[in-house]
Amino acid sequence: MALREIAVLLFATGGSFFALSAAVGLVRLPDLYTRAHSASKGDTLGGLLTLTAVAIAFGGGLSTFKTFLLIVFMFLTNPTAVHAIVRAAHDQGIEPWTAEEEP
Amino acid sequence: MSVENEGEVEAGFRSPYVESPVIMATVRVLSPFVFTFGLYVMFHGADSPGGGFQGGVIVGTVILLLGIAFGIETTRNWMGPEVPVALVSVGVLAFLLAGMGSVLLGGAFLEYSAYGAHHASRYGIEFVELSIGFIVSGVVAGLFFVIDSGQREGA
Repeated sequence: MALREIAVLLFATGGSFFALSAAVGLVRLPDLYTRAHSASKGDTLGGLLTLTAVAIAFGGGLSTFKTFLLIVFMFLTNPTAVHAIVRAAHDQGIEPWTAEEEP
Repeated sequence: MSVENEGEVEAGFRSPYVESPVIMATVRVLSPFVFTFGLYVMFHGADSPGGGFQGGVIVGTVILLLGIAFGIETTRNWMGPEVPVALVSVGVLAFLLAGMGSVLLGGAFLEYSAYGAHHASRYGIEFVELSIGFIVSGVVAGLFFVIDSGQREGA
C-alpha cells in the first residue's frame, strides 16, 4: 500500500472513531451541557480528520484547497455554534446536571 | 427571564441579550467570507449548481449571524426596518425590468437574445439570479426580524 493510502486510511478511521464517540456521548450523557460538550469536540475532531483524509485523497490541486478551506471554516464555526447554543441555554436558566439527582 | 444590560454595546435598547466575545469575534471574521460565498453561489447559477435562491439564503444568513452575535434588536436598529423591504422591491423591479425589457425589444418574456449583447443569455441569467438573490435575502432577513418581534410581544 502506498504511503498516501495508509495516511488516508488512518485519518478516515480516526475521524470515524471520533464521530462515533460523539454519537455515543449524545445518547449516553445526561443533560444538555454534557451532550454539547461531547458533540462539539467529537464532531469537530471527527469532521476535521475525515476532511483531512479527503484532502489527502484528492492529492493536491483545487479540490484539496477547497477541502482545506472547509476544514478551516468548520474548525471556526462548529465550536462557536455550540458555544452559542450552550450560552443561550444558560441564559434561559437551564441548570447543569449534578451527581445528586439521577437523570 | 432576567434583564442584564452590562454587556450592551449601546445603552437604551431593551434586550435581555448579553454579547459573547467569542461569538462576536467569530462573526466578525466569518461574515465577509459568508457574504462573498453567497455572491459566488448566486453568480454560478448559470452554469453550475447554485443560483439566486441558495445564494440569497446565504447572504441573508449574514444578517442572521449579525443578529445572533450583536443582539437582534441592535442589528435591527443598525440596519433599519426599510432595508429588507427595499431589497425585496429592488429585486422584484430588476427581475421585471429584465423580463419586460426583452418584450419591449420585440422578444418573449425573459428572452435574453432580444438584447443583442454578447453572451446575452449568460449575463441575463446572472442578472436575474442576482435580483432573485436580492429578493430572497431580503425575505430571509425580514422574516427573521418579524419572528423575533412577534416572540417578544407574545411572551
